[in-house]
Amino acid sequence: MHMADALLAPGVAAVMIAASGTAAGLSIRDLRRDDAAAKLPTMAVTAALVFAGQMINYTIPGTGSSGHLCGGMLLSALLGPQAGFLSMIVVLVTQCLFFADGGLLALGANIWNMAFYGCFVGYYLIWRPIMRSRLFSGLGDRGGSRARIALASILGCVITLRLGALSVVIETTASGITELPFGAFAEIMLPIHLAIGLVEGLITTAVLLFVHETRPELLMDAGDAQAGASRWTLRSTLVTLAVVAALVGGVLSLAASGNPDGLEWSIFGNADGGYSANMGLDEEAYGVSSAAADAAEAIQEKTAFLPDYAFADSESPAGTTVSGLLGSAIVAALAVALCALGGFFRRRRKA
Amino acid sequence: MEELAAQDSPVHRLHPLAKLLVAVGYILAVMSFPKYALTGLFAMLLYPLALFQLSGIRVSTCFYKLRVILPLVCAVGVANPFLDRAVALRVGTVAVPGGVISMLTLMLKGVLALMASFLLVATTRMDSLCASLRRLRVPGVLVTLLLLTYRYVGVLVDEVSAMSQAYALRAPGQRGLHISAWGSFLGQLLLRSMDRAQELYSAMLLRGFHDHFHYVAIPPFRRDSAVYMATSAAFIALARGVDLPRLLGGLFVR
Amino acid sequence: MIVFEDVGFSYERGVPVLEGLSLSIHAGECVGLIGANGAGKSTLMQLVLGLLPHNGSLRVDGLEVEKKNLAEVRRRVGYVLQDSDNQMFMPTVLEDMVFGPCNYGMPRAEAEARADEVLAELGLEALRNRYNHKISGGEKRMAAIATILAMRPSVILMDEPSATLDPVNRRTVIRAIGRMEQTRLIASHDLDMILDTCSRVLLLSGGHVVADGPAEAILRDRALLEAHRMELPLCLQRL
Repeated sequence: MHMADALLAPGVAAVMIAASGTAAGLSIRDLRRDDAAAKLPTMAVTAALVFAGQMINYTIPGTGSSGHLCGGMLLSALLGPQAGFLSMIVVLVTQCLFFADGGLLALGANIWNMAFYGCFVGYYLIWRPIMRSRLFSGLGDRGGSRARIALASILGCVITLRLGALSVVIETTASGITELPFGAFAEIMLPIHLAIGLVEGLITTAVLLFVHETRPELLMDAGDAQAGASRWTLRSTLVTLAVVAALVGGVLSLAASGNPDGLEWSIFGNADGGYSANMGLDEEAYGVSSAAADAAEAIQEKTAFLPDYAFADSESPAGTTVSGLLGSAIVAALAVALCALGGFFRRRRKA
Repeated sequence: MEELAAQDSPVHRLHPLAKLLVAVGYILAVMSFPKYALTGLFAMLLYPLALFQLSGIRVSTCFYKLRVILPLVCAVGVANPFLDRAVALRVGTVAVPGGVISMLTLMLKGVLALMASFLLVATTRMDSLCASLRRLRVPGVLVTLLLLTYRYVGVLVDEVSAMSQAYALRAPGQRGLHISAWGSFLGQLLLRSMDRAQELYSAMLLRGFHDHFHYVAIPPFRRDSAVYMATSAAFIALARGVDLPRLLGGLFVR
Repeated sequence: MIVFEDVGFSYERGVPVLEGLSLSIHAGECVGLIGANGAGKSTLMQLVLGLLPHNGSLRVDGLEVEKKNLAEVRRRVGYVLQDSDNQMFMPTVLEDMVFGPCNYGMPRAEAEARADEVLAELGLEALRNRYNHKISGGEKRMAAIATILAMRPSVILMDEPSATLDPVNRRTVIRAIGRMEQTRLIASHDLDMILDTCSRVLLLSGGHVVADGPAEAILRDRALLEAHRMELPLCLQRL
């Protein structure tokens, strides 16, 4: 999920930095109203906890594999969306700086994909409405809130992780990095992240249920079911859920219909053709020609097809290619010489 | 990492702000290379290598970090050779499709960007990096949070590994955490951490903390930092603007 | 220096943790605070620092411990926490040492000079630029003490200063405590250390001070100690 710098074009990276920066700025402004200074140590320690918690392997029952924690939902349930968002930013920055997990300039995108959705969408559209609703009130006080916590955590993790994965696809495609058509790429990313989201949801549920048992006052909105009931009725919850479902459903169908079996087609259907111009024809043969598909195709031709020709042209005098290869060899030799020189001086200083 | 940053070399002594800005500029330049510009991008390699040599940090120290970033980069790039088969280059009788070139370019970009940010962190102490972030008008709340988190990551990582060890010792043959302990394992640590945060806040209050931190005094911006910024900017602009390897090769072949 | 007059503390609607405390600690005195787990040692310290609200009257240096005096009280009273990791929240030892002085308005350069002075006094010059998470437990404890000394407090409170230290480090800490000139209040289960460092001992039990007197007398009183879930210091057990 962590994107490297290489996966983004500078423009896309800048847009994402601006978006995440704005969200961070607004969070800081909102946080100042209550005492941000008093919250700082808690935010820092929980951020460090999420960071350390990612080292833990959770064995998934019945499979040989294991899951990990990402933390956005957990932090916003414990600290609230603004403080949770800032903590997540710090987790991501630390991962980027010290573990090369995600690129420096890709931070904007990574913050957006992993922290923004988890904290804001997860909290305002999922956690709070569910926690304040009367869902499961038939299960009694304790059972009801346990069920609400589980529902909110799992739903929250699954949905926010899917949104994040989708954003990775959008950002990469917009950067013109990959030859994979949008639909095919989304098809690879989304199911993987559905599974990851489910596991993360279960882990988050387990942790939050434990906190709820032992120190319920640490959880946001827990025990608000009665107090907030007048504002957050079952109906408003259902409306919110419907919105979320529509959002996710729409996104899913968009991804699915983009190209039903994009990858296979691209790999096998193109095997003899050898150039991307085939794309449009084949798509029509498959009968997927909507306005949207046309537009996407036009964009794809601009981003992928034209540079092809430009490159092909430029290499036509065979000499250019040879000079490129030779030049690269010279640069490599220079690099080796540079290292040798450095080593020589270091040894001399030591001696 | 901290040990690397605590060493001394001409690069370590540079102004942290200068290093930060050059690293960002360099990564931006790397990112902006077109997807087939493999040769042009290759010249960019000289810059991090020079910094590695000047700072006395071994290139190999950063390679084990590649394992984290390469998977997603590869996942994205690996399809290119299949999808983009237009022949871009012929070496003897072997035709190299454009997809292969664009995949290699993508991977090289990943490596170069990683090297640049690794060098920044390996030659700059975290506290002076934070102080220069503050100077760039990054909000104090965020910078303080970063500083505190950086301090407690080590503490909590130790606690998690101690707990995992304690768990593993009593659960032989389990590869990870059994589902029955999912909640309580991290949950216990969470509760303890909340208490820790409370005590930490007291410790801060007792030493007169009101609302902002005092950061390290960054050394003044000396001439070497200015020279560093100027040469780096010149090299980056040159390497980005002109395909250096091709130009070099052109001197010998026509 | 520190004067308690009928001081008490209780959590909301709970049983009182401390009750009817009346005593005074004089300038320059080194007082040991002993008592079984849960006797209220830490609570007592937190009352002095104004971290918890109290009943009755509690004065430090003539200043009543209350909201308007808190900054001044905390400037004069240094508190060495039991867990040095919680105390040392900045990345490096030096940063931690200048944190307090800077917050009280001292210019950075002056604060650094003072930090160097304190490090030299304690013989810890080598720790100056070290990272807090990279130093050993013993070094960390000494650094935490240095952090507090850098604020030049007139009273020092210590919570279990010798816990989890090896014998040599423990000895170093004891020596450092012995050399301080400030008023000291040391809470600990390490009665041998109390015997080494303190001239006077307060024995807390059930929220009351049940004994207050010369360390030698109280720490040798087997019946008194055992009545309050304590034992004789190890060095006296063999006699």
